Amino acid sequence: MKKLLALILSLAMIFAFTACAPKEAPAPSEPGPAEEPAKTEPIRIGFFAPVTSPAASADGLSAENSAKLAVKLVNEAGGINGRMVELVNYDDGLDTTQAVSIAEKLTTKDNVVAVVSGSYSGPTRVAAPIIQNAGMVMVSAYAVHPDVVNAGDFIFSQSFPGKVQGKAGAEFAVKTLGAKKIAIIAVDLDFGTELANTFTAHAEANGAKVVSVDKVAISDNEFTAIITKLKEKVQPDLIYIANYYAHAAEVVKQCKLQGLNVPILGTEGADSWQFLLTAGEHANGVYLTTNMNRDDVSTTTQEYITRYREEYNMEPDMVGASAYDAFQVLFEAIRQVGTDDPAAMRDAIAGLKDFSTVTGKLIKYTENGEAVKAVQIQQVVDGKFTSKGEITDLDIITPSAK
Amino acid sequence: MGNYITTVAVNIAIFSLLALSLNIIIGYAGQSMMGHAAFFGIGAYTAAIMTNAGINFWLSLPAAMLVTGALGSIIGIISLRLRDDFLAITTIGINFVMVALFQNMDFFGGSLGMAVKTPSFLGQRMTSTHFLVLLVILIVLVCLLIQKMNNSWFGLALASLRGDEGAAQSFGVNVNHYKVLAFIIGTAIAGLTGGIYAHRMTFIFSSNFAFVISISIISMVVVGGVGTIRGPLIGAILLGAAPEVLRFAQDYRMILYGGVIVLMMRFQPQGLLGEDSFLQRKFNQYISPILNKKGGESHA
Amino acid sequence: MFLQQLLNGIMIGSVYALTAMGATLIYGILRILDIANAGAYVAGAYFGWFIYFKTGNLILAFLISMAATGLIGVLLHRFIYAPILSKPRILPIVPLVASVGLFTLSGDLARLIAGPGTKAYNVDFGTEVINIGKLTVVPAWILIIVLTALLFTILWLILNRTKLGLAWRATAEDSDIAQAMGVNTNSAMALSYILGYGFAAAAGIMVGILYNSITPALGEVPSYKMLSIIVLGGLGSPVGTVIAGLFIGLAETMFSAYNLAFIPKDSIAFIVLILVLLIKPSGLISKSNNI
Repeated sequence: MKKLLALILSLAMIFAFTACAPKEAPAPSEPGPAEEPAKTEPIRIGFFAPVTSPAASADGLSAENSAKLAVKLVNEAGGINGRMVELVNYDDGLDTTQAVSIAEKLTTKDNVVAVVSGSYSGPTRVAAPIIQNAGMVMVSAYAVHPDVVNAGDFIFSQSFPGKVQGKAGAEFAVKTLGAKKIAIIAVDLDFGTELANTFTAHAEANGAKVVSVDKVAISDNEFTAIITKLKEKVQPDLIYIANYYAHAAEVVKQCKLQGLNVPILGTEGADSWQFLLTAGEHANGVYLTTNMNRDDVSTTTQEYITRYREEYNMEPDMVGASAYDAFQVLFEAIRQVGTDDPAAMRDAIAGLKDFSTVTGKLIKYTENGEAVKAVQIQQVVDGKFTSKGEITDLDIITPSAK
Repeated sequence: MGNYITTVAVNIAIFSLLALSLNIIIGYAGQSMMGHAAFFGIGAYTAAIMTNAGINFWLSLPAAMLVTGALGSIIGIISLRLRDDFLAITTIGINFVMVALFQNMDFFGGSLGMAVKTPSFLGQRMTSTHFLVLLVILIVLVCLLIQKMNNSWFGLALASLRGDEGAAQSFGVNVNHYKVLAFIIGTAIAGLTGGIYAHRMTFIFSSNFAFVISISIISMVVVGGVGTIRGPLIGAILLGAAPEVLRFAQDYRMILYGGVIVLMMRFQPQGLLGEDSFLQRKFNQYISPILNKKGGESHA
Repeated sequence: MFLQQLLNGIMIGSVYALTAMGATLIYGILRILDIANAGAYVAGAYFGWFIYFKTGNLILAFLISMAATGLIGVLLHRFIYAPILSKPRILPIVPLVASVGLFTLSGDLARLIAGPGTKAYNVDFGTEVINIGKLTVVPAWILIIVLTALLFTILWLILNRTKLGLAWRATAEDSDIAQAMGVNTNSAMALSYILGYGFAAAAGIMVGILYNSITPALGEVPSYKMLSIIVLGGLGSPVGTVIAGLFIGLAETMFSAYNLAFIPKDSIAFIVLILVLLIKPSGLISKSNNI
């Protein structure tokens, strides 16, 4: 044991000395002027998603499938500027510790030019500062935590943040559907909290009242008690559900079964074939705010939907579409820039205007790196998500600076 | 490349401290503590809240230790009243309740988690390497502490807890005293580790301290070798390096993890390097004699 | 509204009791906390779905799924738990950790084999709701309450009216003496697993039908909630488990209904447990012979 201790102590001393020695500067934004890469070298893009985590694996798989599809399609079309794209994908297990290791690996070992996050807010949030400090671009597909883009100018989000979606939902609920007495049911994660808060603020600023808020744990599918309470005591004229698909399906079903027939407005959390499958015909009539418009006639959207179905024998959903678009944004930036210079990529993304994606037209990016996009209103008709309009009012969809 | 390896080393170091500290409670004191992650979390949030309020990082760490150890003493006292199975479930319950508090109280950031400032050392922002050095020093100190404990009345009392509580008490050893002390020390170290973890991650949330984490820590201790110093260290190294080394099989990660645990419990419940394990016996048989040319004994 | 919530609570409580019963039966004989019981819950839900999907016959789905998981339980006991327990000096957490490993395996196997996406039972009961006065009753509730009552009656009959049940009770009380008296303790153990895992499987199917959705994460919450329930019920007492299960089901429903939701619902089971244990360290119902 004494020998073991002596060994550990010496190691500790060595570490201590290396720590005090002048350290290499952290990988600078630019190691000198960018060299033109060999014209045929593949473009490697890093990616991570929660593929094995039990709770998140459906979304993780959707994101990863879409990432692979994005790369496949761009390569089929000849690559970017003649170079093929290679995907370096990882599973973060929805664990922030893993996300940190993955971010370090991507930025120092894997020789990627940029990163896309296909994961939830936690892993994305901890990876962001590491990628920012390495001077590399990261586009976050669907993580809505406000702090993600605050990590720095190299970090972008592909879709509107929670606060925009909540506002847009309130706009639609109050102005279009004419709701005055609203009940909110929200999942107790950051997704639900953000949406519920911003929805409430905007709804009440426009004359409606939020009369009850029920927070539910992600694992809890039991809504009978809540709906009975809403029906008998609260009597709202609209229900706003800031939940993921399993909850949304139960709420919708219970409302129909218990005879609480008021409009129900959901969010992108319910934008999934899993919602339609679980809720069955009860889903008809439900409204959603989301970024994906399946009726969009643009070729980009239809191509994605068709090819996704072919490739994976599944319907694509908001998570997948967002991941796909994060790649489109990157591809466009790389195409414009022509080199692997991250700073130039960053500027290219920041300068994107009216860029067409599967999840709508990306009007521009804010100074903070958040996307300004129209919020799609969809309604379930005959078991399909159909377009019901969009919110394009810049006042609503432009995220205010933090 | 260097930064990546350092990061993985930091992960392993954090796991090591957690495993070593849990081992004091479950290995040496033989108590079923299934909620260690809760104390990891209490330390993390305590330190984070303090540095966010402007207090120096280096002061927040001892504070985190104190708060966590104090709460740990409560569990220790509870353990005196409860039978082992009940204790196991109570500690699981405490883990869940703490996570629910972290998740739902705005004081802890609620569901949006808590951002944590990066601390400085001698004017420089701390990097992974700084954290690694700090952690390694702590690991060494903890190992020394455990060694000292084992060679003292404390160790005697704990050994008796594992064997025959009644006999120890008849020797006048205040077994209960030491039981609670084991909880205090074990949880305090976990709290200290939590404080460091929070500052290194720059962001913490409730799910970082969930029951699954408690299970990971227990796995490390039990797979490595309960009741030894080398056991938790090996367990931490294995579990820390595994996700990186096995990236090629990342889709099967959980299956491998579950499978290894089941097989280990079935075939080597004393752990890979536990007191009487296959590897340890081979080590004693072949390698020890070479290391001890003078023919002296080796305790490990 | 109260009556409606009461019914809801009883329904949920029944599922909880059914899920936890396996853990109780296994604890009764082996004195181990078996988290893998929640693995049987997940496996049962998926087996049941597969069979229902293929045959459209719900009864068959229940029967085959329960039998299959029961059999798996017996095998697990034979090849994993029994060998572990036969070793001389093991810490109590060793079998617990093994059961966690098995539970992790079950969830991930479900993900790898069936895929992470939701699967729906889509059972058509003929009618969506049954309105009895002011009460809205979903047919699935009736299925759950009736089937659970049936299964528990069968359990009671087996334990109290059959020789095997007598063997079980004897082994549960003191397995060494029972063995010395020539009681077939091995059969008693097998019975624990067959009934225990079978019940968990049935509970999994019921939940799948009720919410029309099963995912690999189905067992996450039940795995720990059931531990809370069996301890509350006195660890090893089937009657206690039923009472504790119903109690927690009702507590959760009432909390939700009457806006006492400042505590997340899933923590209620644990908070109740901690409170009860502080007052009565042997649980709500203590077994007559507490070791």
